[in-house]
Amino acid sequence: MSEQYKILHPVKYYRDYLAHNIRPDGREFDKYRPIVVNLGSISTADGSAIAKVGRTTVVCGIKAELCQSKAEAANEGFLIPNVELPPLCSSKFRPGPPTEQAQVATQLVADILKNSECLDLKSLCIFPDKLAWCLFADLICLDLDGSLIDACMIALMAALKSVRLPVIDYDPALDNKQANLEHRKPLNITNIPSSTTFAKFDDKIVMDPTVDEEDLSTALITIALRKNELCFVHKPGGASVTDEQLLKCIDESQKRAIVIEGIVETALRSLQ
Amino acid sequence: MSKNRELLSKIGLRLDGRRADELRRIRCKLGVFTEPDGSAYLEQGLTKILAAVYGPHQVRGNRSKAQHDAAVVNCQFSMAVFSTGERKRRPRGDRKSTEISIHLRQALTAAIKTELYPWSQIDVYVEVLHADGGIYPACVNAATLALIDAGIPLKEYVCACTASLANNDVPMLDISHQEEIIGGPTLTVAALPMSGKIVLMEMSQRFHVDHLQKVLEKALQGCRDIKHILDEAVKSHIQDVGSSTGWANTT
Repeated sequence: MSEQYKILHPVKYYRDYLAHNIRPDGREFDKYRPIVVNLGSISTADGSAIAKVGRTTVVCGIKAELCQSKAEAANEGFLIPNVELPPLCSSKFRPGPPTEQAQVATQLVADILKNSECLDLKSLCIFPDKLAWCLFADLICLDLDGSLIDACMIALMAALKSVRLPVIDYDPALDNKQANLEHRKPLNITNIPSSTTFAKFDDKIVMDPTVDEEDLSTALITIALRKNELCFVHKPGGASVTDEQLLKCIDESQKRAIVIEGIVETALRSLQ
Repeated sequence: MSKNRELLSKIGLRLDGRRADELRRIRCKLGVFTEPDGSAYLEQGLTKILAAVYGPHQVRGNRSKAQHDAAVVNCQFSMAVFSTGERKRRPRGDRKSTEISIHLRQALTAAIKTELYPWSQIDVYVEVLHADGGIYPACVNAATLALIDAGIPLKEYVCACTASLANNDVPMLDISHQEEIIGGPTLTVAALPMSGKIVLMEMSQRFHVDHLQKVLEKALQGCRDIKHILDEAVKSHIQDVGSSTGWANTT
């Protein structure tokens, strides 16, 4: 019965739940879904991780390649994220070129990485202007149930922490590269940025929305933090939000960021 | 690469320690995702495959594709860029992927009772997370499980397996990536195991036609064994789902 009600009057269905200060999946407005992280499952990739936020599942694989650094950034390497939303993650996507949502997600992840300076690109340089590491971070969403950017960031940071790059001996005069595959070093990751998504419905703000809640919402806010510093706020249009609500969201994101950092560190210890 | 490694050593062991007629370990799970109507995850050795099924639903895109007497089956095969040793530039759309998508569609169409869903479309999406040989057979097996999880009526399980010939004499089962590279012919067979019908057969390299019978027999036996494993997984999944909902008739 409630299934039919949900399909026929989705807004009223959701409003009835919110009036009792609870959401359809039983959470309160400021509760987030459980997070699961697993590292190192894909051995063909140089670093890999799978992150689940509730049911949203994102797998991240990092492949490292050698390349020449750009002329304007001669002593920096590259970290290139790419978010893919294949049709198997949701019935909204068809096979074909990347959708707008995937491209926007890729740009958001790239911006968060740049702003948080979690990885010093200079440490990826092997020889200035000649040779540098290029890390391709490919994020594939396997199941889309809201909070895509949150899951992407967790998977990406966990995968980056698990990367072990071989030491390269480079002779510039002879252009000769020797890779020492036995001796591997981890990357120098200074902090773990994480993001939290909020959805606004009527005048209430809920944390960590599912895909049904995202579709019904009138505005979405994504906040990314590293340690106690804000590194990214994304509110693409939608209904307006008061400044008290926004500050409250930032507070709640800070608490969640600490929990996420703890989870990634624990998962990393299990790998060792 | 001048190491002369034999596919089958003198004491009858292969490169990864298996005997000639042993399958790699298969682990599978149905219903791993909530969005698709049916989904499955399958591991065969190190090869990891995800399959998702949407449907049957209305024909999307080109309406003229719809058939009045059968459902249209649409398969898409895609490899994650980090699934192979070298980073793959094009996850889909290159010739190999398109060929595998078409073969997948042909194999699955033979088993799905498409005549029950005229004017509809069934989508099957397969994603390879880790490639280590035997990709196509693993995709077929995963797609079969996903179809069963979606509740789409099948005539039979479709199981696929690879087989090869070692030392020009001994047939081997379930070829891994290392064994494919070293050389040696590979015969891929997709079959309906219970009725013994072959749905798709493909071969690379060459061997003498006298050996065909025994290599084919090996592959078909492999398909039958895989069908047992998949059947066990389906039964335990149904038990889990059924007992958690109390085997109840909900009205």
